[in-house]
Order: sequence, then structure tokens, then C-alpha cells
Amino acid sequence: MSKFDPWLAIRKPLSPQRQALLTVVSFLLPIFVWCIVSYIPWLWHPDMVVTVSADRHDVTTVYSVGDRLPRHKESEDDFAFVDFVEDVRERNEEIQAARDSGEPMESSRRANKKVLRHLAPVGIAEGWLTRDQATDDTAIYTLWGEIARGEKQPSKVQLSQENLAVVRDNWSKVGAISETYDSKKIPTEILLNLIPQGKPSNPVFVPAPHEVVQTGIYDWTHQRDPDKPAMFERYGHSLTIVFSGFLLSCLFGVPLGILSGTYDFFAKIVEPFTDFFRYMPAPAFSTILVAILSVYDAPKIGLVFLGTYFQMVLVISNTTRTLDRSLLEAAQTLGAKSKDMMFRVIIPGIMPKLYNDLRILLGWAWTWLVIAELIGTKSGLTEFIETQGRFRNFDSVYPTIIIIGLTGYVTDQILAALRPLFFPWDPQHSSQKLNVIIRFFKWLTNSECYVKSEQDTKTLTSNDQ
Amino acid sequence: MIDELQLPSYREQSPEVASRFKSIYERPVKLEVKGLGRTFNSNKGTVRALHDISFNVHRREFISVIGPSGCGKSTLIRILAGLDFPTSGEALLDGKTIFGPGRDRGMVFQGYTLFPWLTVKKNVMFGLEVSGRTGSSVEAEARSWIEIVGLAGFENAYPSQLSGGMKQRVAIARSLANNPSMLFMDEPFGALDAQTRCQMQSYLLQIWRNVDVTIMFVTHDLDEAIYLSDRILVLKAKPGEINEFIEVPVPRPRSVDQLLSPTFLATKKRLEELIHPEGTEIKELPVKRFVSADEEIE
Repeated sequence: MSKFDPWLAIRKPLSPQRQALLTVVSFLLPIFVWCIVSYIPWLWHPDMVVTVSADRHDVTTVYSVGDRLPRHKESEDDFAFVDFVEDVRERNEEIQAARDSGEPMESSRRANKKVLRHLAPVGIAEGWLTRDQATDDTAIYTLWGEIARGEKQPSKVQLSQENLAVVRDNWSKVGAISETYDSKKIPTEILLNLIPQGKPSNPVFVPAPHEVVQTGIYDWTHQRDPDKPAMFERYGHSLTIVFSGFLLSCLFGVPLGILSGTYDFFAKIVEPFTDFFRYMPAPAFSTILVAILSVYDAPKIGLVFLGTYFQMVLVISNTTRTLDRSLLEAAQTLGAKSKDMMFRVIIPGIMPKLYNDLRILLGWAWTWLVIAELIGTKSGLTEFIETQGRFRNFDSVYPTIIIIGLTGYVTDQILAALRPLFFPWDPQHSSQKLNVIIRFFKWLTNSECYVKSEQDTKTLTSNDQ
Repeated sequence: MIDELQLPSYREQSPEVASRFKSIYERPVKLEVKGLGRTFNSNKGTVRALHDISFNVHRREFISVIGPSGCGKSTLIRILAGLDFPTSGEALLDGKTIFGPGRDRGMVFQGYTLFPWLTVKKNVMFGLEVSGRTGSSVEAEARSWIEIVGLAGFENAYPSQLSGGMKQRVAIARSLANNPSMLFMDEPFGALDAQTRCQMQSYLLQIWRNVDVTIMFVTHDLDEAIYLSDRILVLKAKPGEINEFIEVPVPRPRSVDQLLSPTFLATKKRLEELIHPEGTEIKELPVKRFVSADEEIE
């Protein structure tokens, strides 16, 4: 393989190094796209996440810091971030106009306190206030003074010039009465609202990679709710459901599949109904399963079983039929009777294909996991996904989904890598098709290992041939 | 070209050959085929694959079956091996009617039928093990058979590591390990290249000479049939009937040099006549010239 070999050659395998490289790239590419979408502000980012909020006059809907609004007005009915800003600005202009006319509007101490509290998130973002101090009027009051005098300049949430003017204006009204907080000394004349500020953001269902990683690590190392199982417990539970369902289905499906692939009697009595049954979606039976097996793990395992078993019987009986008939005839001429044919020819003969079938079927079983865990009492990783998704904590949802996918993928890759150990006689996979991932790590450690040795490729030949 | 040579009749036998056939016929009859017929029912109607086949094979004889394609030679050998059944007549091995496959009749197939998950040794041991035998004697026996077919040292190789010729030799060893009274071979060397096939024929003759086994060999290669056999059963197609049972006049032991001997060629000529009675018809292709007259090659 030289450097001059083309990357695009019709139906020609690339060099192992290139294959390994592309495998890694195939994973990096989606992550890269995700990063671009998340971190380049002018790309997509259809929403504005509120960093400085305000209450609107005579409107009950409240946007607090962290809420998202559409950035642009797509239709008349949309209430976009610009509308929010415009509403508050107009109100401020009205207040200003009233002041200019010499008849300032009156408000209440309580309403003015609420206006002042809108500065708290700025202090929290900077670390000047703790999270618990969002309603600590004394601390917030002090912060107003400090920012108005320019002693503190927010850097994480930079206040716009417009807002700095509002801060100074309000402070001139409030600070003139008292330098420190005293609920009695809050003026009743209406204060100006802070103008809403925000930053472009993606919708809540597309969290940035770092958020997902951070939340994922947090979720797996901390217990959010002591009354609920920890993540590892949930994970173990989900694995138990999948593997119990799968093994149960193997227990019945493999023998029956082999029998119906071997004897036409079994094929004709089993396959037609099985073929029909597999078109009835397994989740449709969920309520029946719950009625029969109660609400705990049994119906979940039952659902994985129902979803896997019928496919398994058909796939395995087909695999059994692919065994070369001449091997059976050869065995017969060597004196093999039915029992020998089954245990010495058919079963060992189909083993490598059966192994591959079971790998694919295990993938099937995985796809039923989430639905299975939703029936009866919700449990395992799915319950976590459900709950967090309902709170729109999608940064907690994604790591869980990824863990499920990763577990299935890694299991499959490990099984694929182990195949040559189980079936050293099968030339298809014994030497050359070493698993790509293992290959990649081998390549990282020692790129020499790929130069195929002569012994690998050439078949043994006797001297006289 | 064969016509131009002054060939003897294929029926003319030298005294040695004649006495050899006499001694063969004095041996007990191993296989007796009586009025064997086989018809297949398809949606196009009934096809008579074999019709009224009768012949005897004597102990340690080497018989080849040859005929045009579709003459039922494979069907015949499959019936005798017990993998198919006759619709009329019967075949007797050592006086007993053949019914179903059994370890008294070995079979070597055209395709490779070694069990790919077993090593060479385990493949050869297969027949002995299914007969209920276990222990070191089985292994020792397997080893000796592997040695006989010249594959000592490959006991632990898997079939996928062997060449085609080696696979077929293991298949022969595997069949012979059962100590069958007859060995059926259905174009066993058909998939091999010419050179390997030639070697395999010599190996087979050597093995046959040293083992008490009667061989029935299906082929479509005339040279192979003559080179190997004592007698050649020539079938004709539609329906599959015996055309002629030829006593090969080529003396034994056989060697590759005999391939051009007059007796060999005479036999071959006769076989050609039997298999292609009206000669091979070659249709004239429509003429379209892409070369000029001075580039003419013939």
C-alpha cells in the first residue's frame, strides 16, 4: 500500500491503516458537526436564552433567566425575544415620559423590590451572589449600588449601556434615600425596568457537547434523588432486562429454530404461525403482559422475549437450512444416524452463522429495552430518561441514550472480536478480519503488525504438490 | 488423427490381460445390480433417468461409469450409495439388498465435503466415532489412514488450510477408515486442475492396490476412466441405459506412458464413438470480418 493509492477505488479495500483511520473519523464526524452547531453562534441558534429578565406591564407570562424565546419573529403569533425587549422598552419610555411631564407614575414598594431583584442573576453568574441569594434583597440592594458606582463590572453577563443607564437612574432614586437596604425606605415612585438581555442559543433539545459530558459525569457520580436508584443500579437493571429476555428467547428459539431448519415436520408446524405472529408488534401486548405478569420486571422481560423470539426461530431455521446438504450426505455415507447428524454435523456446522445471528438478534433485543422499561412501573435507565426529559433536562437525557447505544455497540464488537477464538477453523474470519477497533489500537501501539506475514496468507501445501 | 493410426480393436486382449479378466470373474460378486430403474416426476412429466440397468461387479474390481451428460451416472452411484432410491429393480451388495446409506459403502463427492470444523485427523475419525468406537486405537487408525494418503504431518490442519487435492485425499482416507466393502466416487477430481488430477489418479491407483476395496468411479473424462479402470460402464442418455460394458485392454500396472499406447487409444476411440455417436456437431458461426484478406491466418 503506497501513499499514491487512491482513496476512492471501486470495490477495492483500503489499507488497514486507512480503514482504522476512517473508522475513527466516522465517529468524530458527527461529534464535529455537533460541536460546530453548538459553538458557532451565527450558525443556527434559533433561540435566545434570557440572561437579564424583566416583568412586563399587565402581562402574567414571566420569563426568567435561562428561559428560551425565539430569536426572530417567524409569524405574527410568535412572541420573539425582540418583542419582549420592545415591550419593556416601551414601558420604560412611558415611565420616562410621565416623569418628564412632572407627574411620575406611582407604584408600590413590593413592585419596586421585584424590579430590583432582576439584577440578582447577574450577580449569581459572576459569583458575587450565591444561588440562595436570588431573593436576598439586602445583598441585591448593595449590588445595585456597587454596579451604579462602577465598583463592580459584570463580565460574564455584560450589561448593555442601556441597562447601565437604567442601573444608574434607579440607583439615583433608591440610593438617595438609603445607601443600604431597608424595606421601609424603598421609594414608591415607579422604577425603570432592566431591559431584557439574552444570548443566542440552540433549542433546549440540542445541548452543547460540554454540557452533555459534564451533566453525564455528574449524573453517574452523584445521586440526584436519594429515594431513587443510582445510575449504576439503573444500568444493571436495564442490562438484566435485556439479557434475561434475550437468553429466555435463546432457550426456546435456538432449539426450535434448529429443529425446524432440520426437520420439515417442525418447519411446517412452527414457521407459518411464527411468521404471522412476528407482524404483531410486541409493544401491542404490553397491557396484556402487565395483566398476566404484574407490573415489575416480568412483563418487561416478557416484552423483550416477544420481540426477539419469533424473529429468532425464523432466522435460525433459515441458517440451519443453509448448511451444505452434501455434508449431511457425506456423514450418512460414513454411517451417521439421526443423532450424530444433529450433534456432530448440523449443530457444529451452523455454529459460526448461528453466532452471527445471535449477535444481530441481541441488537434486536436492545431495541426493545426502552419500550419494555416503560410498561408497568417504569424502571432502569428509561425511567431516568423519561423523568429528566419531562423536566426538559436534555443534557441528562443524551448521556443515558449514548450509554445504551455504547453498551450495545461494544458488546457486539467484543463478540465479533471473539469470533475467531471460537471458530478458528472458519477461514472467513480467522486471520484477516480482525476487528477494526482492536486493529486500531494495535495500530496505535505497533503499526508493523499489519504487514501480513507470509504464513498468514498461504495455505499449507505438501512437498509433492 | 486417431483414425489414421493403425489401431487394434479395443476388444483384442493380450494373454496377460485376458487371464487377468479371467481371474477377476472368478472372484466373488461384490455388487449385483438387477433391472435397476429410476424415474423422476416433474411438472413436465415423467423422466426416465435410469432404465433396466443390470451388471455385476467383482471383488476388488475398479469400475468406471461414463456417459453423456444427463445419462444418470450420478443418479446410479447415488442409488448404490443409498442416497437415492430406485423406482424399480434392486441392487445387492454381498447378497444383501441396498437400502439407505451405510458404513459398508463409502462415498467421495465431487465437492469438498470434509467437515470444516474438524481437523484432518478428526475428519478421518468421524466414521469410526459414529460407529461407537472411542479411544486411542481410533486415533492410531486415523493416523495410519492419513499416512496412506500421504498427508502425514497434516493431522491437525483444518480443511480450509488444505489445497483441493489434499482435501480429496483426506475424503478418501475418511471413507476408507470405515473399511467399506465398496467405495463410490462421484467425479471426485472434477474440480481439480489438470496436473493435480493426474497426481490424484496415481495416488488412487496406489491406494486401491494396497487396500481391499472395490471402487466404482463416475467421471466424464475418458482418459481418466481408461487409466484407472478394469471395466468401463458406458451409459447412454434418455433413458439412461447401459450402452456397453468395456473391458479395458490396457495392461496393469498402469503408468502415464500408456496414455498414448495403441490399446489405450483404441479404447478411447471406442468410447468417443459411444458417447458422441454422430460426432460433435459444430454449427457454423455467421461470418463477419474484421481483418483484411492478407491478414488471413488459415
